[in-house]
Amino acid sequence: MTALHVRGATVADLPLLQAWLAPGAARDLPAPGARSEAWLVVARRADDQPLACLRLRRAIGLDLPRHWYHVGWVVHAAAELGLFHRLQTLQLGNDLTGASELADIAWQPGLDAAAQAEVLAPLLAAALQALRAAEPLAGASALLIAELPGLVDADGLSPFWQGLGRPFYDGDAQQAAQRFGPAWRSHVATLMPRQPVYSAFLPVAAQAAVGRAHPAAAVLAGLLQQAGLRPGGHITIDQGAPVLTAPLDLLAG
Amino acid sequence: MTPPDHDPTRWLLRPAQPRDLPALEALARASAIGISSLPPDRDALRALLALSAKAFASDDVASGEEVYLFVLEDLAQGGALVGTSGIAAAAGFNDRFYSYRNEFIVQASAELGARNRIHTLHLCHDLTGVSLLTGFHIDASLAHTLAPQLLSRGRLLFIAQFADRFSDRIAAENPGLSNEAGACPFWDAVGRRFFNMDYSAAERLGGGRNHKGWIAGLMPQSPIYVPLLPDEAQWALGQLQPVGELPFHILMDEGLDGDSYLNLFDGGPTADGRVALLKTVARRRALQATPADGTAAAPAGSAWQLVANARQADFRVMLLPATAPGAGLALPAAAAQALHWQAGDALWGALLDSQPPEAAA
Repeated sequence: MTALHVRGATVADLPLLQAWLAPGAARDLPAPGARSEAWLVVARRADDQPLACLRLRRAIGLDLPRHWYHVGWVVHAAAELGLFHRLQTLQLGNDLTGASELADIAWQPGLDAAAQAEVLAPLLAAALQALRAAEPLAGASALLIAELPGLVDADGLSPFWQGLGRPFYDGDAQQAAQRFGPAWRSHVATLMPRQPVYSAFLPVAAQAAVGRAHPAAAVLAGLLQQAGLRPGGHITIDQGAPVLTAPLDLLAG
Repeated sequence: MTPPDHDPTRWLLRPAQPRDLPALEALARASAIGISSLPPDRDALRALLALSAKAFASDDVASGEEVYLFVLEDLAQGGALVGTSGIAAAAGFNDRFYSYRNEFIVQASAELGARNRIHTLHLCHDLTGVSLLTGFHIDASLAHTLAPQLLSRGRLLFIAQFADRFSDRIAAENPGLSNEAGACPFWDAVGRRFFNMDYSAAERLGGGRNHKGWIAGLMPQSPIYVPLLPDEAQWALGQLQPVGELPFHILMDEGLDGDSYLNLFDGGPTADGRVALLKTVARRRALQATPADGTAAAPAGSAWQLVANARQADFRVMLLPATAPGAGLALPAAAAQALHWQAGDALWGALLDSQPPEAAA
């Protein structure tokens, strides 16, 4: 018998879990009986103390729109001049609407890599198990996604946000994320460029942050890869962080 | 070099001729202000003069390829050339004419209490086929006389007279900001990111007449969000090189719009407008002229008008004192000779607003 078990989050867990969550994460328990959302925690059997949590969502973006940038390529070529340029573009859209999502994955601060792997592995396995067992939802797609946290600089600022977000919203992003939770990105997306943006127009640090995950999420990223999720060409709109995706039927199980 | 007497009747605008080649070369080298439309080498200049002479002389239906080069003569200096200007019948003939169009998008989030008016630049071909005013080059010492008015606006009387050879819409490119070393903040922020080279190097690489077409093909095809550009480039948008201010202000006074389009490469303003709505075209009236004795000199402070003959290949425009509404034009012999006018020929006038800046010496 293992020393850990996975269960639903309860009101008693809230003070602990909420302290772990990033600004912009959902902070409330799912509505009782909600079919599209579950908040799972992995806890020690001995004292039922939570060590990590994960919010499982299905058929996302059908009530509150979700936005991502699709990272694409445009080739500008002039053969007679020997010019051939491959240019990266970012296109705002709602491409992953309807997917299932492993969201707001957080753990007790201070866990080392081995401990992270120990608590996250059963949590992810339980989430995937729950997904497979669930009744299909109307409007759901056959895709699973997981957003990783993005790069931040020494001051805790995201270079991607500084380069592409701030020119269009100069308010305090952290504060707004804290205030609005998951709705923050829906709100701020209405201010972001709707037409494709060539990454070449962004500052070098912002370009370098496109599709890069925060090093603190390395263990999580490894586990998600093991489960079959891969960078799928989308990034988050506030940090340029990678969105991992996998077709549900190809997930390791 | 500076003529002591700025009597406006001393200048004459006429079509350039192949024999003007040496004088035009000298003009291109001399200290001049405006937008140079003159090709840098003698062979290209000679070819341009031949093309222009052919366009002025042609009775064929206009193809759009025509270019018309005008020169400004100083009659008081034996017809010395002191300026030149031009028209291209159709921008981007046989190809496309690229511009950036300024557009503004308002995006708002009530929840975040934010509302942004976002300036965007759209690569477009809107001005393809529009007639282009292609240059303006005048002896710097004449900047504060009426000569620039004749040089710029005289062309419009030609367009009005031979409207079927031109589009009903007109545009003019104006040079954007660059420094002494040739660095251009707009190019550095936009073009350079897609070419990794100086604008002058990109231009050399392209060579030939249609270089702008392929350069444009390598530029970003989706709108450029101006807030993403460096401050220096944002500030340079629609800004004029100082040497372009005189011709630009004349065009603004004519009623062209300088806020809608930008040059793709240096971000300078490309002015555009409807021919029929231009000030000089709207004011154009047939004149009843009769030969008169004496000279056309008018007391300082009086109003002046452009007076053009109605000939195509031998088009001529000069400045003469304004006539009272309904009154005939008493045409002195010198003016009649300059305009190649004979009794019975048509003449067209258009009133100028500008006053001579100083009394004739």
